[in-house]
Amino acid sequence: MAGLELLSDQGYRIDGRKATELRKIQARMGVFAQADGSAYLEQGNTKVLAVVYGPHEMRGSRSRARHDRAVINCQYSMATFSTAERKRRPHGDRKSTEMSLHLKQTFEAAVMTQLFPRSQIDIYVKILQSDGGNYSVCVNAATLAVIDAGIPMRDYVCACTVGFVDETPLADLCYAEEGGGVSSLGLALLPRSSQIALVQMDARLHQDNLDALMEAAMTACKGVSKVLDEVVRQHLQEASMLARD
Amino acid sequence: MMAAVEVSEAEKVYILHGIRDDLRVDGRGCEDYRHMEIETDVVSNTDGSAKVTLGHTVVLVGIKTEIGKPRPMVPNEGYLEFFVDCSANATPEFEGRGGEELGTELSNTLYRVFNNKHSIDLKRLCISPGEHCWVLYVDVLLLQCDGNLYDAMSIAIKAALFNTKIPKVFISSDDEGGKDIELSDDPYDCMRLNVENVPCIVTLCKVGHRHIVDATLQEKACSVASLIMSVTHKGTVTCTRKVGGGSLDPESIFEMTEAGKRVGKALHAPLMKLLEQEESLGKKQQKVGFFG
Amino acid sequence: MPTDTKRVRGPDVSQSPSLFVCQPADGVSPQGPRADGRRRDQVDVRPVFVRCGLVSQAKGSAYIEAGNTKLMCCVYGPRETERKDETDMKCGRLTTDMRFAPFSCPERGSWIQGSQEKDFSTMLQESLQPAVCLHKYPRSQIEVNMMVLENSGSVLAHAITCASLALADAGIEMYDLVLGCSLRQNGASYVADPTSAEENDRGPDQSRNQGSLTVAFLPSLNQISGLQSDGEMSEDTLTAGVRTCIEGCYKLYPLVQQVLSRCVSRAACAPPPR
Repeated sequence: MAGLELLSDQGYRIDGRKATELRKIQARMGVFAQADGSAYLEQGNTKVLAVVYGPHEMRGSRSRARHDRAVINCQYSMATFSTAERKRRPHGDRKSTEMSLHLKQTFEAAVMTQLFPRSQIDIYVKILQSDGGNYSVCVNAATLAVIDAGIPMRDYVCACTVGFVDETPLADLCYAEEGGGVSSLGLALLPRSSQIALVQMDARLHQDNLDALMEAAMTACKGVSKVLDEVVRQHLQEASMLARD
Repeated sequence: MMAAVEVSEAEKVYILHGIRDDLRVDGRGCEDYRHMEIETDVVSNTDGSAKVTLGHTVVLVGIKTEIGKPRPMVPNEGYLEFFVDCSANATPEFEGRGGEELGTELSNTLYRVFNNKHSIDLKRLCISPGEHCWVLYVDVLLLQCDGNLYDAMSIAIKAALFNTKIPKVFISSDDEGGKDIELSDDPYDCMRLNVENVPCIVTLCKVGHRHIVDATLQEKACSVASLIMSVTHKGTVTCTRKVGGGSLDPESIFEMTEAGKRVGKALHAPLMKLLEQEESLGKKQQKVGFFG
Repeated sequence: MPTDTKRVRGPDVSQSPSLFVCQPADGVSPQGPRADGRRRDQVDVRPVFVRCGLVSQAKGSAYIEAGNTKLMCCVYGPRETERKDETDMKCGRLTTDMRFAPFSCPERGSWIQGSQEKDFSTMLQESLQPAVCLHKYPRSQIEVNMMVLENSGSVLAHAITCASLALADAGIEMYDLVLGCSLRQNGASYVADPTSAEENDRGPDQSRNQGSLTVAFLPSLNQISGLQSDGEMSEDTLTAGVRTCIEGCYKLYPLVQQVLSRCVSRAACAPPPR
């Protein structure tokens, strides 16, 4: 066991949440005027900006263009001041390249790319403050940005990181829990059809527990989807009010 | 120059004629700034931060303090390190390594702007001469660019430096003569910087026969050359630099420096007033951040 | 990070002993003549030695020596742009690359281009570009490579002069030559074309007027193509400084013209290349 008690006997976690409780999610769409779509999302203390450009003509080498669908291009980067210890470079290291790839795979599964052949969609996410669950917060923010850009998707992509402690799955891990030696699993889900866009786990977990963990992750993702749906509806209402004036 | 827009000949003529008559496309006069919003203390992982919105230009500055070793030439001073991240958020051109060139150019200018003895009292950043000093990492994050990056960046830096809280430390020596650094137990017990002398940058763009401040990207596309000036509240110039591909005749340079001094000097008082006002509100202040 | 794998480098932490030598308390005395006998508050620039066409492989080259400051410049092109996405159909590209030789400064430098060198390259590029008729070279690039062999002050100013000579030597069409001059302000007095000791002289602590200024000037068009200053100066001092630098550039002009015309006449006399 790690030094930290991640789940108390009363069933509370270090930040006072229950095992299945998500962190507070606040979001706003359309934060930037120049980008085609943008969103800002706070999930607990993790704060992310996502920006979408496109669909537009292929930039750089045209050979990457696909005749039957759009190419999705992602860049994940972290502000140099986003972590407790200062980062030397915002992107380009192994971890952020991997993260960019994961985001790309996630959104290739969700965006209806076949509608925009020979074009490119850029999704850029920037972590302003990092407190765990970076991947899932990025996916959630990017979903809102893609919706803001008006790009058709099969469904919202909602992501959540879950961990397994004391035979109990914990939803939406924060930084302290992620570092505490928990086997964590990241899941990106298309909630309505319950289809998985991306799942990743790089820790050890007994096979018997996997189903329980997946179940918890799915529930958490569906919870996130409710919040995102609320944000989108709110945003549309405000936008239509403005349009009417 | 990167992050530029294409402007047609007809548009150029329209912009040029407007500036000749002291009326710009958005209704401003030649020496007017766009609407500006400043908010400090926006990122909690930093020791000081500020977000500045100038027109559509958005700049976020985070300052982190670390303990480092003083430079051998100046053993009794700390130092500042600047880094400008032109992120892909601002424009897809900056993806990958695309923003690096502009980023180095901006950070090199910042080093020059602060290359003098009075902007920041570096001696206060010394903890123990020759051994330990505070290093302030000033990280600028460019989130959206709509012209006039230099000015927005310098204002954000001044605001973030104002907001910076450096923890108090004590040097204690043990029996064997070794020295230890002890951090103050009280997190509110911290050192603040005097930012009175921190300069602000004014960029003057030469368009036609006149010069304008706070040019948008469209206006910048009509300009052959611009002059960057960093000016303190007393009107002292700490850095000038001509940028852009054109040349200027000496007389117009003198006109521009005169205007730059006037505009730059006038920036400081309202900025300081605003910062102090925000500070006095303390926790009562509703943080807007990106929800505004 | 790009690391240099070709050479064996010294330990990371070594430092030159010269850094630890205490600076003389008063530095160079603010009154009286300068260390090299030149006068203060006068446009007293160092005598320069200039030559063109030293490097046979380059399209054009120039060498300049002012006091102990020694610079060498090579110009290549116009040739096809390397990166196709940067090709401009109407206009050529001028690229500059300025480097300090590792032995050029009191402390040993690195072979890898540092941020200061990049900064100098940008300023050099911005100073030269207004003088070059780039519209005559569509879809092509002209490369300026500058090597600082010895740094003894006013490097950027002399680099500008040297590069414009090399461009002229390469036969690149230009509106005018570009001449550079710098100045160091120290309180009420100034020194033109400062040496590195004068550049680094920090002077009395409370002085508010202290800084460096470099101007790039097109003499026959009377245009300033580059201006760069740091330190602290009042606006009047800055303006006066710019005027002084312009005067300094005019002092350099006859010599530079003479060198260039001699170089051209020598080329005219030489047998045509086979």
